[in-house]
Amino acid sequence: MDITALPESESAAPGGEAESPENVKKVEGRDPETVRLKRAYESEVEAKVASDHQHIVWAYGVIWVLFVGYGMLLWRRANAQRADLERLQKR
Amino acid sequence: MKYVPYVLLAIAALLFPYAVSQVFLHTPIEAEMGTAQKIFYFHVPLAWTTMVFGVVCGIAAGIQLRIRSERAEAIAVAAGEMVVLCGAGVLITGPIWGDATWGTPWTGDARQTSTALLWLVFVAYLLVRRYGPANSDRLAAALAIFGAVDVPIIYYAVKIWKTIHPQTTVVGSLPGSMWATLWLCVAAILPTCIALVWIRADQERSAMALDRAWIERDAAAATA
Repeated sequence: MDITALPESESAAPGGEAESPENVKKVEGRDPETVRLKRAYESEVEAKVASDHQHIVWAYGVIWVLFVGYGMLLWRRANAQRADLERLQKR
Repeated sequence: MKYVPYVLLAIAALLFPYAVSQVFLHTPIEAEMGTAQKIFYFHVPLAWTTMVFGVVCGIAAGIQLRIRSERAEAIAVAAGEMVVLCGAGVLITGPIWGDATWGTPWTGDARQTSTALLWLVFVAYLLVRRYGPANSDRLAAALAIFGAVDVPIIYYAVKIWKTIHPQTTVVGSLPGSMWATLWLCVAAILPTCIALVWIRADQERSAMALDRAWIERDAAAATA
């Protein structure tokens, strides 16, 4: 008797579809270890981008403050000179 | 000629927003350093400007030392202030960039050290120029010339000594979009600095003329 030859009703899946390797669909990214690694990588990238943005804001802010500060210094000097010239002309 | 610095400032005012939008919106993120590399687009032009005005200050101080030119003296003072201003920008943005990419703000390599030395020399120049005794302008001029000599040392530091700083050839090897953005930033910063030096040099000459006028007035009052 051939024991591999099962009756048709027994070899079928409960849902009615056959579970042959061709019909099984591999699900990507569902493996817990892969998901954990992906999340760890994403949080690392997020931290790097946040840190980079912080550094950029500081660097550009410093440049802006330096130039605006120097501009104001020149403006104050010009006002002081104008006042000095007026004092000289009055005497 | 009176309006030249204001025309330069107007050009810079138009270029700055465009340059910043190019840096952040239209230039790709560098693969190795990430977003922090965007500091490069203003750090490098500031460093170049520091070196250019270091040389300008040294030459003007040399002329002032030789022929006692008031105009040269005014340009030297204005350029010296620009070296200190842009040098401060370089010495602050550099370590911020270094902290983000190297993990440390200061490695003490030859380029960093020589740039810090340049900045200190020009701070000393301005201090001597402002608070020095009579005739200290000659000592100040010597300091400015010494500072100008430091400029080629900064440039060649990455070739002569082992340093973590990128080589001088890095600009030439940039991809087209990054290269164009860098020059756009140079085009925004350089006219700003030239205009500020121009305005400051005019102020310095006015201050000299005012000093002379006060002395003449006091002398006339004393003889009357």
